Amino acid sequence: MAVSTMSFKPTLPLLISAFVSLLTGCNEANKLSLSERSIIYCSEGSPETFNPQLSTSGTTTDAIAKQLYNSLIVYKGQNNILGPSLAKDWHVTRDGKKITFYLRQDVRFHQTSYFTPTRLFNADDVLFSFNRILDKSHAFHQVSGGQYPFFQSNEFSELVEKVEKINDFTVRFILTRNDSSFLANLATDYASILSAEYGEKLFIENTPHKIDIQPIGTGPFKLKDYRVGSLIRFYRHDLYWQEKAKIEQLVFDISPSKTSRLTKLLAKECDVSSYPIAHEKIAERSDLLLESITSLNVGYFGFNTKKQPFDNKLVRKAISLAINKQAIIDTVYHSQAARAKSILPKTSWAYDSNTPELGYDPVRAKSLLEVAGYPQGFTMDLWAMPVQRAYNPNAVTMAKLIQADLKKIGVKVKIVSYEWSTFLRRLSLGEHQSFLLGWNADNPEPDNFFTPMLSCSASENGNNRTFWCNEEFDQLLQKALKTTNMSKRKSYYAQAMAIISEEMPLLPIAHSKRFQARGTDVEGDILSTFGGISFYHASKTKPTSEPQNLNEPNKSKKVSN
Amino acid sequence: MAREKIYLEEVFPSPFMQLWGIFRKTPVAMAGFCCFIFLILLAIFAPIISPYSPVDGNLEMILLPPAWHPDGDVSYLLGTDELGRDMLSRLMYGTSLTFGLSFIVVIFSLVIGVVIGSLSALTRGIKSSFLNHFLDVVLSIPSLLLAIIIVAILGPGISNTVWAIAIVFIPQFIHITRYAVKEEFRKDYVLASRLDGASNFRILYYSVFPNIVERLMSQATLAQSAAILDIATLGFLGLGAQIPLPEWGAILANGLERFYIAPWTVYLPGLAILFAVVATNLVGEGIRHALKLRKEN
Amino acid sequence: MLTFTLRRISLFIFTMLVLTLLSFSLSFLFPGDTVINHSGQINATASELVQLNKAYQMDKSIVDQYGAYLTHILNGDFGQSMASQSPIRNEIIELLPATIELSLVALLIAMVVGIPLGFIAAINHNKASDNVILSLAMLGYSIPVFWLGLLAILVFSIGLGWLPSAGQISLLFEIKFVTGIQFIDILLSDSPYKWQAFSNASAHIILPACVIALAPATIFIRLSRAAMIEVLAASYIRAARAKGLSFQQIIFRHAIRNALIKIIRHVGLQFANLVTIAMVTEVIFSWPGIGRWLIESIYQRDYTAIQSGLLVLSCFIFIIHILTDFIYAALNPLARGNQHGS
Repeated sequence: MAVSTMSFKPTLPLLISAFVSLLTGCNEANKLSLSERSIIYCSEGSPETFNPQLSTSGTTTDAIAKQLYNSLIVYKGQNNILGPSLAKDWHVTRDGKKITFYLRQDVRFHQTSYFTPTRLFNADDVLFSFNRILDKSHAFHQVSGGQYPFFQSNEFSELVEKVEKINDFTVRFILTRNDSSFLANLATDYASILSAEYGEKLFIENTPHKIDIQPIGTGPFKLKDYRVGSLIRFYRHDLYWQEKAKIEQLVFDISPSKTSRLTKLLAKECDVSSYPIAHEKIAERSDLLLESITSLNVGYFGFNTKKQPFDNKLVRKAISLAINKQAIIDTVYHSQAARAKSILPKTSWAYDSNTPELGYDPVRAKSLLEVAGYPQGFTMDLWAMPVQRAYNPNAVTMAKLIQADLKKIGVKVKIVSYEWSTFLRRLSLGEHQSFLLGWNADNPEPDNFFTPMLSCSASENGNNRTFWCNEEFDQLLQKALKTTNMSKRKSYYAQAMAIISEEMPLLPIAHSKRFQARGTDVEGDILSTFGGISFYHASKTKPTSEPQNLNEPNKSKKVSN
Repeated sequence: MAREKIYLEEVFPSPFMQLWGIFRKTPVAMAGFCCFIFLILLAIFAPIISPYSPVDGNLEMILLPPAWHPDGDVSYLLGTDELGRDMLSRLMYGTSLTFGLSFIVVIFSLVIGVVIGSLSALTRGIKSSFLNHFLDVVLSIPSLLLAIIIVAILGPGISNTVWAIAIVFIPQFIHITRYAVKEEFRKDYVLASRLDGASNFRILYYSVFPNIVERLMSQATLAQSAAILDIATLGFLGLGAQIPLPEWGAILANGLERFYIAPWTVYLPGLAILFAVVATNLVGEGIRHALKLRKEN
Repeated sequence: MLTFTLRRISLFIFTMLVLTLLSFSLSFLFPGDTVINHSGQINATASELVQLNKAYQMDKSIVDQYGAYLTHILNGDFGQSMASQSPIRNEIIELLPATIELSLVALLIAMVVGIPLGFIAAINHNKASDNVILSLAMLGYSIPVFWLGLLAILVFSIGLGWLPSAGQISLLFEIKFVTGIQFIDILLSDSPYKWQAFSNASAHIILPACVIALAPATIFIRLSRAAMIEVLAASYIRAARAKGLSFQQIIFRHAIRNALIKIIRHVGLQFANLVTIAMVTEVIFSWPGIGRWLIESIYQRDYTAIQSGLLVLSCFIFIIHILTDFIYAALNPLARGNQHGS
C-alpha cells in the first residue's frame, strides 16, 4: 500500500509530460490533413427525419436536403432563375397542365454500408418519390406517419392528377389546373428524389421505415453515421453526377446551446457555426468571418385562434397593439432586421407598400381588451421556440419583451419552451395559446408565404399553427395561383394581406438576414437564399487549426498595434 | 432580592454564551458573520433599497458595463443586462431569492427535523432501526441529485425547488438531532434530572436542547451553504427559478448567451453566490472551531 | 470475509429492490398515464395500448404490476424515450460509459491532488501552510461548479487556446463504439489516427475532469488531514518516534498507510457527490454522458427516460459504494466483522 502511494508523486510529472508529448503530437502532418479534408459544422438542432418530404423544419432541411438529395430542378444564380438539376430540361404545354421532364442519364445513388445501387437514376425513382406523396394507397405513403406537410398545405395531391413515365428517362406531370407556383414548388428541397430500388429492397425486407432513417439519395454527400442529439457524419459521394465535393468528410456537431456554439467556434472546435450570437465578438477576431445573406422570411407572434381567449379577433388585435415591435427589432435583432408590416418581405415582388400596419398603441389595446370583455386582463402562455432561426435569433428574449409589454395592459404571460422537435410536435397538436415562430421561404413565389403558413389546408395538417381558416382568404390565394397576370396576382396578395391585418391570426414582427460564422480557412458558398444550406462548394484552405499558428497572428497583430 | 445577589456571582455562562465568547474572538469567523448578517438584511430590505425594478428593463440602456468601465454609467453601478435591467437591483432581489429562500428552507427543515429527530430518539426497537436504515439510504444520496429527482417529479419552478430542498434537508436534521439527543441522554446530568422525576420532554427541553443547539447550528450552516448552491444550480439548469425571476443561478444562465460580450452578467452573479457561500461557511467554521476550543477547555 | 460478502450481497439486493420500487412508483407520480410512463410509447394506438396494459399487467394487483415492471427491467427493457422514441436501453449503453470514464478520471484527480495536500496540512498542523491549504479548500468547496466550468472554458479554451471546451473527442475522429469508454475504444480501433485520437481525447477530458475534481478534492483534503492528525496522535506513532525512527520514516512507513485506510472508507460516499457534480459539468462541457441526457429529459418531460436514467445512475453510484466497501474490508480486517450498512 505504502509503495503504491509513494509512487503517486513520481508518476504525476511523468503523466503530465506524457500528456504534453501527446498534445504536441497533434501537430503531425496526418492530423492536419484530416482536418483539412473535413469540415465540422455546429448546427442548432437534430433533424426530425432524413427525408425532406416529411418536414418543413429549417433545421431538418439544412441538415439533410442539399447534402443528401437533389430535386428535379433548382433555383440558380443571383436572379433566382429555374435551372436544371436531375432533370436536364423540361417542357410546359401552353395550357400549363402538362409538364414533361427529361432526366439525366448519368446519375448514381449513394453506395453505403446498408445499400448498394445496381442501376442508375431513372424515371422510376421520380415516380416513386412523388407517388409516395400523392397516392394514398402507395406502399410507402403511410410509412413514418403519412404526413407531407409542405405538399399537403399546397394541396399538391389535388393539383397533380398523375405522374406518367413516358420512357426510362422522361416523366410527365399532368395537372388538374394551371398553377403558377408548381415549378417553384418542385424546385424546393422538399421535392427531393428518393431511390425506388432502395424502397423495393426495404419493402422486401419488411423494414420500410428505414427509408426515412437511413437515407439513400443522389446528393454530394452520403450518410455515414447519425447519433441523435450529438452528431451527423457525412462522407463524400465520390460518384456524384457533377464534380465531386471538395471535402471528404462533413460532420454536423449538434449543439442546441447558442453559447456552446459560440464557444466551439471561438475555440476552433467547429469550422462553421449556424446562427452565431455575439456578432461583435466574432467581428473582432481576425481568424473568424461573419457573413449574412438576405433571406426571404418572416418572424411572427401567432395566436391559437381555436383557443380561448384568442378565438376573439378583438383580443388578438389588442395584444398586437400592445407590442412594441421596434424595441424587439432593436433588442432581439440588434437592428439587423426590417420591421414587418405583413408577412411578405420587401424583396418579394408581391410586396405592397400600402398594406395597413397595426401600430404600437397600448392605450387603444387596453380599451380593445375592455370591449372584448377582459377589463382585468388574463393569463396566457407563450411558446417560445428553443432554437435560433434567421427570422428569430432569440425567441426567449423576445418572449420576455412581450411579457413586459403585455404586463402593461394587465395580461400575464407564462413563457413555455421545449426541445425543438417536441416543440413543433406539440404546436401542431394545438396545445399552445400563443407562440413565437417564423417562416423561411423555400422559393421566391409569394404563395410560399401564404399557403403553407395560413391556409385552411395547412391548419388541418398542423403546419398552420394558428389554426385560422378563412374562406375568403383561401379563395384569394387560389385566384392568385390560377392566373399568370402579375399585376392581378399582386392585387390578390395585397387583399389577402389586408385580411391578415384585419383578422390578426398572427402579428408579423420582422424580416431578418440569416447569419453564419466561419473560420477564415473555410471557403465557398454555404448559405443560400432559399431552403437549406449546402456544403457542396465548401473547402478548406491552409490549415490554421494548428495551435502554434493560431497564436501567431494575434501576436503579430499586437506588435503592429 | 437578597438571594439573587448571593447567587449572582455563581452565574455560569450558558454553553451557547461560552461559544459566542470564543466565536467573537475569531476575526475571520466574525467577518463571515457580519457578511451573513448583511446578506440577511439585504434579503429583507432588497425591495426597498434597490434602485430599479428587477424585471422591467430600460431598453435605452442595454448591456451597459459596470460603472468602473469607461463605457459604464454611474446610475447603473453594476451595469445592465440584455433587456436593460439593472444588474445591481437584480442581484439585490436575487439575495432574497437565493440566499433568503435557502435560509428559510434551512430553518423550516431544521424545525421539522429536530421535532422528528428528538421524538425518534426516544423510541427504540424495530421502528428505530428501520428509521436508521432509511436515513442511511437517504443520506447517501447527494442533496443536489435528490433535489433534481424531486424537481423532476414536481416539475420545474422556484416553489418546487424550495420544497425539494426542504425535503432533502429534513433527513439530515433528523439524523443529527437523533444522534445528538441519544448521546446526551446517556450522560449523567440527564440521569440526575430523571431521578428528580422529570419527564422525557422536560429533559429534552430544559437539559438536552441547550447542549445540542450549537451542533444543530453548525449543521444548519452546512445545510445553508449546500442550499444556496443547490438553488443556484437548479436555477442555472433552468429547473429552478423561471424567467424572469432574478435568482442568482438563473441570472447567470441568462447571461450565458452574452458571456463573451457582456462578461459581467456572468461574473457578478457567480461572485454573489461565491460570497454568500463563503460567508456561510466561515460562520460554520467559526462555530465548529469554537466548539472544539470549548471542548478542549 | 464470507459473512461480510453475504451481508453486502443481501444489502445490495435489498437496495436494488428499493430503488426499482422507487422508480416503479415514479410512473404513478408523474403526470399522464402510468402504462405510457412505463413504456414511453406516447403514440401508441388503441390495440398497442391493450398489449402494453397486458405486458405490464395493469389490470392486476399492484404487486403483480411491480413484478411485471421488474421483469421488464431485468430483461433490459426500459421502455422507449418519449422524446426520441428510441429504446432507452440503447441510449443508456451509449451514454453511461462516458459518465463512468469522466467521473473515474475526476475521482483519480481529486484523490491524487487532495490526499497529499491533506497530509501536508496535517503534518504542518496549525502552521501557515495548514491554514493556507484549509482556506483554499474552503474556497474551492464554495465555488459553484457551473461558474467554475465557465471560467475554465474562458481561460483555458478561449483565452489561452490550450484545451478544447466541448465533447469527448474531436468529431473528426471516427471511433467505433465498443465499450463506450473512449480511451479503450481508441486503443481497440484500427484507425490510422489512433494516437492522435488518443491525445485528442486526453486533451478533451482534462478540463471537465479537473472542474469536477475540485470540490471532492477539497473534501479529500479535509478527510485526509483529519485522518492523518488522528493517526499522528496515535500511540503506535509515539512508540515509533520513541524508537528513534526519523520523521520521514514514520510518515511514509506508518502514518500514510493507516491514514489512507481511513480515507478509503469515504470514497464511496464522495463518489455519489462527485457524480452529481459531473451531471452539471456534463451540461457545461457538452459531455455526451448520462447526466446531461437526464437533465435534458427533465426539460422535455420525458418521464420514461427520467425514471430509467435515475434508476441506472443510482445503481451505478451504489455499486461503486459497495465496491469501496469491499476494498476497505480487504485492506482493513477489523472492518469485516461488526460493520452495519453505513
